[in-house]
Amino acid sequence: MKLSAEERWDLIDRISKETVTFGAYRHTLTDAIGELTIKPLTGIPIAIAVLYGFWSLFGSFAGTLCTDGFFVKFFDGYWLPWLQQVFPGQGNWFYVIMVDAGGIESGEFVLSESSFESFGVLTSGLFLAIGVVLPAIFIFYLMLAILEDIGYMPRLAVLIDTMLHRIGLHGYAIVPTILSLGCNVPGVAATRILETKKQRFIMMTLLAIFIPCGAQIGIMEEVVPDLIGWIMLYLIIGYFIFGYILNKIVPGRAPEFLIDVPPYRRPLARNIGKKIYGRVTGFFKVALPFVLLGCVIVGILYQMGVIQWLGGVLAPIFVGWFGVPPETAGPLVAAFLRKDLAVAQLSTIEMTEYQMITSVVLVSIYFPCVATFAMMLKEGWKDLLWALAVLAVVVFVYGGLIHLIGILLGVA
Amino acid sequence: MKILLMGHPNVGKSVFFNRLTGANVTESNYPGTTVDYTKGWMKIDGKDVELVDVPGTFSLDPKDKAEEVAVAMLHENRGALVISVIDASKIERGLYLALEIIEEGYPLVIALNMRDVAEDKNILIDADKLERILDIPVVSTVAISGEGIKELVSRVKEAKPVDVDDIISNATKAADVGAAGDVP
Amino acid sequence: MAMERKLSEMDYDEEGTVTEIEEYLRRRVAGMGIRVGKKLRVVTKQPIKGPVDVIVDGAETSLGLDMAEKITVEVA
Repeated sequence: MKLSAEERWDLIDRISKETVTFGAYRHTLTDAIGELTIKPLTGIPIAIAVLYGFWSLFGSFAGTLCTDGFFVKFFDGYWLPWLQQVFPGQGNWFYVIMVDAGGIESGEFVLSESSFESFGVLTSGLFLAIGVVLPAIFIFYLMLAILEDIGYMPRLAVLIDTMLHRIGLHGYAIVPTILSLGCNVPGVAATRILETKKQRFIMMTLLAIFIPCGAQIGIMEEVVPDLIGWIMLYLIIGYFIFGYILNKIVPGRAPEFLIDVPPYRRPLARNIGKKIYGRVTGFFKVALPFVLLGCVIVGILYQMGVIQWLGGVLAPIFVGWFGVPPETAGPLVAAFLRKDLAVAQLSTIEMTEYQMITSVVLVSIYFPCVATFAMMLKEGWKDLLWALAVLAVVVFVYGGLIHLIGILLGVA
Repeated sequence: MKILLMGHPNVGKSVFFNRLTGANVTESNYPGTTVDYTKGWMKIDGKDVELVDVPGTFSLDPKDKAEEVAVAMLHENRGALVISVIDASKIERGLYLALEIIEEGYPLVIALNMRDVAEDKNILIDADKLERILDIPVVSTVAISGEGIKELVSRVKEAKPVDVDDIISNATKAADVGAAGDVP
Repeated sequence: MAMERKLSEMDYDEEGTVTEIEEYLRRRVAGMGIRVGKKLRVVTKQPIKGPVDVIVDGAETSLGLDMAEKITVEVA
């Protein structure tokens, strides 16, 4: 036999009367902290402090300590020069793809000086994967796991609900958003916590377009550290502008926010360790092959002249519409395959700061990385096609808009 | 036999799962979705039994995709036994889900988890009496420290389907006895 | 003296007993333990039409303002 909700509650009330004694409600310290972090007057400043702390720890651990402090020294000081020496066939196509594309200076082939410039699979590819992305992903997921396991995320969701509500989502959308800052793949997976198809579509599209992953952010921190704030600002503004528009045009319901806010708990080291291990290995299993394969394919396409040709064809659009120098056409085309590599490439091109901001933003909002693409395909190819259509429009419109803002500000 | 581990999100279900299962754990996506769930094996009387960690849900009226999957997994495994993990400090809404599952005819065991948290909040639960009313095993546990896990495992086999009518009459009886002023 | 008010109009730290929930919402909030006859306390309300945060049976739930409008509470 089945009961109606009312009958069921009735029965529970009767059972509970017989078996449960509720003593005087005891207000614990945990409750007090819980309230402080959710009441807007105290909760919003705390949330800002938490996010700021998250960001600066991320930068100082991944960027300063690991990448600059160790991996750059190791890769540029030992690995690259060693490979340049021992790898046979300097200058031939295989050497170029695997080790060093080098450069031509006064008509002569010269070797690269850093792993950011060599673009070989075994040099730049490995350096990006192990030296830049690994520490970034590790520290990111460590901090996120702690925030999740103590139970902070639902409170953050409540605080930010008002804003996300305006773009057809609700507070809990902060979870896939933050998760995507590590890697878009689990971010797309996490859209399952949203109620309707409309919400999941908006979320997935915004993630794929506007949220750069840990790998990209790690590289940006390395090669354009002074501009990263502006780049992130443009991405966040875009997230809200296009979220607002999508909410208006995508049919469907955007139901209200209803979430459980669990009490704070002491996180278990074992659980955190398991989570990080799962996510980091997941990232390396899913994403690392793409990083290395991407390096190979980009290298081959350069060798065959495909990227230069496409770049030449598209250069008028890049120059005229987006206002970036023609040399960026190559990396921007290559960005279809490897965003992080493209950012590194862009950083070696001579251009104004504003052009740099524009081109890095373009790389970020471009085609989602192949792994994310595969993940979205799992959710259904129709949604994926729509998301790609939105993406094409967004790149064109937003890229042009950023150029226009630059013109108005007199910097482009 | 298959055992489903069900309960609200944040009741310590995954800690439970880790305690109950050994090393051979697999994580997979529910077909056609990105919702993942974990499967493993637990030992009951020396036999390996499959244990599935079903995504958390508040009721059998799903309100998002993860909850949809939870409900679908329950319905696909008609012959399964369910371990319902309840946060003892929020027992009433935990019983709501447990009753829903009982009403669908599944054999159930209840793990009253986070008993320590409930005590901190001055909430005392008479697990024996609850067990008599529901007519299924009710075990107090603190999954984080491992308390009560062994008892839970040893009592899984006592789970059986219960008619909700019987629960209603048991509750009435219990109330009468209580009114008569004393002992069971 | 007791008076009835919408949950959305309650102030923080106010307590009351739920007297009515609009039909369509009942099942949705049931799993969270919110139901007619239950006592609740408003923990906080977020500004600019943000969600309302309530405690029912020691469990904290945050619900959108539109939902809170559909729940009537007798304020103690």
